[in-house]
Amino acid sequence: MASDALTTRTHTTAAAAGRRRLLSSRAGLTLLAVVLSLISLFPVLWMVTSSFKTRATVTDGRLIPQDFTFQNFVYVFTEVPFARYLWNSFFISTVITVAALFFHSMAAYALARLRFPGRERLFGAIFATLLVTAPVVLIPLFLVARELGLLNSYAGLIIPAIFNAFGIFLLRQFYLGLPKELEEAAVIDGCGHWRVYWNIVLPMSRPILSALAIFFFLANWNAFVWPLVATSDQDLTVVQLGISSFQTQYTSNWNYILAAATVAALPMLVLFFIFQRQIVESIKTSGLK
Amino acid sequence: MSGVAAQERRRGTTMAAPAQSPDTSGRRPRLSRKHREWLAAGLFLAPDVLGLLVFVAIPMVLSIGLSFFQVSGFGSYEWIGLGNYRRMVNDPLFWDSMKITGLYVVFLVPILFCVSLGLGLLVRQKLPGVGVYRTMLFMPYVISLVVVGVLWKFLLDEQTGVVNRAMRAAGLDGEPWLGSPSLALGCVIAVMVWVMMGYYMIIFLAGLQEIPQEYYEAAKLDGAGPWTTFRTITWPLLRPTSFFVLLMSTVAAITGGLDLIFVLTNGGPANGTSLAIFYIYQQAFGFGEYGYASAMGSFLVLIMVLISAVLFTFTRGGRFDDGE
Amino acid sequence: MLQHGNEAGRPATSPGTSRRRFLTAAAGAGSAVAAPALLTGCGTARAKGGNLQFWNFYGPQRSPDPAVNAQSKWFVDMVDRWNATHKARIDLVYLPQATYLNGFKLPAAFATGEGPDIFLLSPGDFLRYYNGGVLADLTPHMEKAAIGDFGSALDSRKVDGKVYALPMEIEPLAMFYAQDVWEKAGLSEADIPTTWDQMLDIGDKLRTKTRAGLVFETRPGYYQNFTWYPWMWQGGGEVLDEHGEVAFDSKATRQALGLWQDAVRHGIAPRTMPAAADVIGGFKGGNVAMWQQGIWNVSSFKAFAPKYRYGVFKLPTPPGGRYVTALGGWSFCANAQGRNAEAAAEFCVWALGSMKDDSIDRMVEWCVGTKSDVAPRDSALDRGSAKGGYDSAIMKKFKDEIFPGGRAEPRYPPVVYKAISDAIQGTMLAGHGVASDAGRAARSIEAYTKSYQGASLI
Repeated sequence: MASDALTTRTHTTAAAAGRRRLLSSRAGLTLLAVVLSLISLFPVLWMVTSSFKTRATVTDGRLIPQDFTFQNFVYVFTEVPFARYLWNSFFISTVITVAALFFHSMAAYALARLRFPGRERLFGAIFATLLVTAPVVLIPLFLVARELGLLNSYAGLIIPAIFNAFGIFLLRQFYLGLPKELEEAAVIDGCGHWRVYWNIVLPMSRPILSALAIFFFLANWNAFVWPLVATSDQDLTVVQLGISSFQTQYTSNWNYILAAATVAALPMLVLFFIFQRQIVESIKTSGLK
Repeated sequence: MSGVAAQERRRGTTMAAPAQSPDTSGRRPRLSRKHREWLAAGLFLAPDVLGLLVFVAIPMVLSIGLSFFQVSGFGSYEWIGLGNYRRMVNDPLFWDSMKITGLYVVFLVPILFCVSLGLGLLVRQKLPGVGVYRTMLFMPYVISLVVVGVLWKFLLDEQTGVVNRAMRAAGLDGEPWLGSPSLALGCVIAVMVWVMMGYYMIIFLAGLQEIPQEYYEAAKLDGAGPWTTFRTITWPLLRPTSFFVLLMSTVAAITGGLDLIFVLTNGGPANGTSLAIFYIYQQAFGFGEYGYASAMGSFLVLIMVLISAVLFTFTRGGRFDDGE
Repeated sequence: MLQHGNEAGRPATSPGTSRRRFLTAAAGAGSAVAAPALLTGCGTARAKGGNLQFWNFYGPQRSPDPAVNAQSKWFVDMVDRWNATHKARIDLVYLPQATYLNGFKLPAAFATGEGPDIFLLSPGDFLRYYNGGVLADLTPHMEKAAIGDFGSALDSRKVDGKVYALPMEIEPLAMFYAQDVWEKAGLSEADIPTTWDQMLDIGDKLRTKTRAGLVFETRPGYYQNFTWYPWMWQGGGEVLDEHGEVAFDSKATRQALGLWQDAVRHGIAPRTMPAAADVIGGFKGGNVAMWQQGIWNVSSFKAFAPKYRYGVFKLPTPPGGRYVTALGGWSFCANAQGRNAEAAAEFCVWALGSMKDDSIDRMVEWCVGTKSDVAPRDSALDRGSAKGGYDSAIMKKFKDEIFPGGRAEPRYPPVVYKAISDAIQGTMLAGHGVASDAGRAARSIEAYTKSYQGASLI
């Protein structure tokens, strides 16, 4: 469990032996991490390489394409307005993520750190919304969206997707763990609740907000059912609907589906790679630890 | 056991005895501190509470309402009272699907929990290239469930799938992974673990990084081994995160996974992967039985309310106020 | 609620904080939050009224497959033609097949009164839509001669002698086989099986570890039932007899369930679809020897594997059985609760069911031009033959040998479908006893039909 920061700092008598043990255990852990990562990666890698296969060989189960082709990607971008789908998904996911982070952190802060009557009951009620089973409420949700005039619009894709108790719950758990002293000091300084939230709590929650940003963005990037039901305008097609459109009546063009899926997944991988560094960075600089 | 736990306890007591502040001053702009706090809380909560009310609570209430009607799926409604619930009680297919859901949850949740906690602990280490491992382990979650389904359909193919090819290369017989009722559910669980492990790994990682490094240094000085450190520091301080992961993965197991089931098995073979949520979907959107589906959906929500009420009671809302 | 966010944001802009970067980010957030509110104004749903909506899974779309493009064009041309000559205008709305069949979209639309005015309907869904009162009566718009021209193809689309849907195609099932595999095993045309036992023997002979000898549909669904019915019918089995009485628990039913069970148990038929159910990929990849499939694959082969050598033969029969195959195919129908049910119904008849030349020619074009199907109207079938649409050996076989013994896909409602599906799945893939599962299915159907109210199930 010990990190290498400890190894450099502790100079006790058994240091040499201990260091050797640590080194070998670290090598073992590294090996384990590599192996697990490769296992986790393999299916994704298979998806990427298969997207370079032709239709006749896409189902052959091999990792390396036997007749390599770029045609699938050319097709995805030329025959179908896939760039437009990507933009739609990007726009929608970004707006939802930013709005959701803002609202949820405010709500979670209130639930975790402010005292007001009925707080626990309200949290229970908010939590209970997580238990609602999506297929069951789809029809009523459609009706609500129609009454609000949200169908077939960006707003209809965005607004209903913002509200989700998951983020509130996770942030509340996080805020419960923040040291009380920090905000007590701020309150003594005469800061209002908004200032405490804005100047102290929000900056301190950067690691968790970064993680949540990825989750929200991905969840909406991969959203399928609601965009399907709520829109029929071609201009509003999102990326997952675009992928599904490669299935024709009797045949499935798996090569196109995999190419489109690869195109949809790549920006998310880059995004995650950047953000996960940001999570680590912000933990280092937040002065929390 | 620690400063954090003590703080938690302190906060718990202040909450139990709310500060009595004089609010009889009468000056309009100067609200009492207590009321200012109430007002701030109200404003902070307003957007989310309103949104959840409109887009989740109202549809849910409507759906519960629907469960008392016979619905044609074409706009005609007939009040039948508890008819749908009676039908549910007597529907062997529903109870089969509940059994499968139970099996699914009982296997998926603990496996997922252990795997992602293990991964979280692993990638918290300062290993060379740890960012790359994190990315690779998180990768499966990046792909939409529909595509995941397609992917694994190929990998688990009886004839050409990578899994069976590897088994044949090792001198074993291939298995009809998705074609046998006993194996198919296991496959769905395994695929779900593969998809979700990176996600919960990140949540565990965030929780782990909150634990002050000083505790570990102190434990180190005391000569504690890795297991003792884990048992006395990591595990207790990680409890809010663990609680969260446990609860969320249980709820997600019961209500989610529909996209994957569609592509991978469509509920088959022989209803072997017909989870309750799939059966509800099938009744509603396949057969137009919205009333009946709403009844089963409401029942499912009730069960989840009970599960989480139990979890909440045991953990005081995930606060763990009373510490060790 | 947006105002709250903005108002509350103001005090935070006080100088001197070390969090400026965060503030600018949040200011951006504030405006982004306001964006949806602005968008609502320009994106509101169209009011009811406006053009008729025609939901389909053909067009308009673009595809690398010339056949699919031609099918899309057929739809687009048809609607353009109508719009040029009629006042009630129509918009084509394309949904991918997977979405159309299994999705949330159609059910959600119909459940909330937002259903399309014109749509494509499969036989399995007919009764549910009819009993829901959304199918408009097309009879008033049709000539007697045209109804006669469709003949028995309308039987499963009629209630009390009235027509509620017009079939655009007839799609019979047959057995497709790989000629190269066949010949390499030393088999010839003369070895084409005519009995179930012969079929199983050859399947056993042709299978390898990576090649299925004989493929039956394995995924639960209406389609699997559809492909299974002919095996039951061949032995004289029925789900419901001519009086509407449950007749499912019979020797013929058990025999048909047993056929699929044996094929799977002995490893002749696979438990999952080869090549993820892609017929072209499965055959070309050498993973299949025989596959029970529909006529539509003829045009798929032509488009994607024109040089691939395959053959078709009639479904073999059991001892003492009579040849039957199942006939599928989709139809046009009009929404009785739509914007303009009258015009929608008129369109369906204009497109496929009038005695005018362009209506008949349109069907010819669909069935022999853009697709490979049997035309549901006698006149169209004759014209298609005259045009040489059935000259190829395979299409000729379909028209002259396979189609004549056909029987339309039944229109059983969901509960009946599900009972049969569970019996097929249970016996085929879970090793349940054939007799017990047939009995259980018969009892569920019985219980349902007792309380069923609605149009005749047969």
